Amino acid sequence: MALTEKYKELIDLARENNVMVAETGNVLKLEGTVPTAAIKDKMWEIYQRLDPQFKSNDLLLNVKAAVTEGGKVRVVTQESRLNIRKGPGTDQPIVGKAEKGEIITLISKSNDLWWLVRDVDGEEGYCYAQYLEPVQ
Amino acid sequence: MKALRFMTAITLILALGMSVASCKKVNDADVQKAAQEVLMTDPALAGVVVTVQEQVATLTGIVEDDAAKAVAESAVTAVENVKSVVNQIEVVPPAPDYTELDAAINAALADALKDHAKVTAAVQDGVITLTGEIREKELPTLMEKLNALNPVQIVNNLTIK
Repeated sequence: MALTEKYKELIDLARENNVMVAETGNVLKLEGTVPTAAIKDKMWEIYQRLDPQFKSNDLLLNVKAAVTEGGKVRVVTQESRLNIRKGPGTDQPIVGKAEKGEIITLISKSNDLWWLVRDVDGEEGYCYAQYLEPVQ
Repeated sequence: MKALRFMTAITLILALGMSVASCKKVNDADVQKAAQEVLMTDPALAGVVVTVQEQVATLTGIVEDDAAKAVAESAVTAVENVKSVVNQIEVVPPAPDYTELDAAINAALADALKDHAKVTAAVQDGVITLTGEIREKELPTLMEKLNALNPVQIVNNLTIK
């Protein structure tokens, strides 16, 4: 089955949100920024429904939810608390922790994978961006 | 009248003879050499070989794109004494260079895999290949992290518990 057919539901949602859709070789690539974390979550939900264990190896879904510096972000770890580190990298010392579900302030996302944040206690440091989602 | 015909015939024979003689002056080897020299001035056409036979130039070899193929043809067409060009050049795009992408992914992998101790990832030509094992509910989190590294493909060979 053609990839565009298999992932039609996902592609439709991507196009509605101006996400780039490209097919190269046997891989379909969706890349871009969507207006809300809810839309990003919805896309991952569709992806997982169409390919439950991510075993098809035929899709790349690289979407980010739009977020502005100075705005609020929620900690979306699975269970544990989120480390806040002195610098961008897991080799950096931990300077604080944020609870799951806690809402903290985004200061800068100049590093794509590690965002600079300020927690409720005023502590500043870097968190892994995949564990943060913008709050509308 | 007879004399006139005779003279016309003589003129015709002479003219033909001369034109044959002038044709013979074109040496295919010289034309080929000139054509090859023209091609050598363009580095994009370094892989093109020209052979000339009876003033017909045949182009063979490999270039990286259709534009270079067309440039080679027009360049050789313009060479003096080339009557026509047979373009048999093959277009073979260069293999992409993934060195930088692989390095960028490798640099970011340690952070992405930190919370997934039993997962191992190998990177080649922009493709991340996963081996090891993972709990099913952690899989979407891992996949989100890896997709954000902008790879060419993710090959998931994980055992899902």
